[in-house]
Amino acid sequence: MLNHRDKRRYVAVMYDENSIFRPIQLHEKIVGRFKELFGILHAELAMLKLYDYEFGNILFIGCKLKYLDYLLVSLSMTQPSLTVVSLSGTLKKLRKNVATLNFRNIKNNAS
Amino acid sequence: MGIHVLDIDRALTMAKILGLDLIGIDSNNSVRIKPLENIILRMDKKYPIADYYPHLIVADNIKLLDGKTDLFVIDPFQKKDTIKRKSKRGLGIEISIVSTKKLDGSMTGKWIKEVKSIYEFCKSNHCQFILSSGATSINEMVSARTFDSILKFMGISPKNYWKEISEWLYSKDKARWIHAKS
Repeated sequence: MLNHRDKRRYVAVMYDENSIFRPIQLHEKIVGRFKELFGILHAELAMLKLYDYEFGNILFIGCKLKYLDYLLVSLSMTQPSLTVVSLSGTLKKLRKNVATLNFRNIKNNAS
Repeated sequence: MGIHVLDIDRALTMAKILGLDLIGIDSNNSVRIKPLENIILRMDKKYPIADYYPHLIVADNIKLLDGKTDLFVIDPFQKKDTIKRKSKRGLGIEISIVSTKKLDGSMTGKWIKEVKSIYEFCKSNHCQFILSSGATSINEMVSARTFDSILKFMGISPKNYWKEISEWLYSKDKARWIHAKS
């Protein structure tokens, strides 16, 4: 049997820093919305996983490449609002991308 | 397109991060905005400021839809018969994603179905289909990549969509320049 590993993608998701939800709760909401829109089976196959959440108000979520579009659709249709600010094929690159983004100008976002 | 935020500088920084070249900002006569290449003012009627900036006349009520309207904001669940009667060639028909956040799975499915039918309607009536975030804060803004995924999911080619929307915006601007020159 071939040692085949499915490609994954990692997304950096920004949430409202005044949010009453903790990152783990937000991840649960994302998975819940994914299941609601695309079904439990796809949600399991997508292997949605929460990685870092110590990066200010940014969550790092990974999923199988095949289900990336489903994840992005789910994120855009989830309450509370979540915004995908970066996307990468490796976590290391994603962290680097997020670190270079100019977030200081958009913090304390009120509106 | 379709940002209703007050803090334009933050919205523009966010737009850059999200890969958006251009954003629509709600404006009225009282709002002072610096001339910027990457914003389009959205206004309910033509204010004097419109002479100096790219702008679109936006209506969200069918009663306000007239010959001067560039963009009509539609709720996919509303009846489309009147729009079919009142729409003209080149009218932009905008749908906001933000409303789906409060819908359950079943209603979201229906929303997608309705949006698809509006897209077909736009195609057959030479109207411009526009998907917008409908954001009222920077947290509600949607990245270009996410728009691509939503479009793909609805069976719309993102490449064609962005090409058509660019041409439509260009045609709106061009028409105004011709009008201003004559």
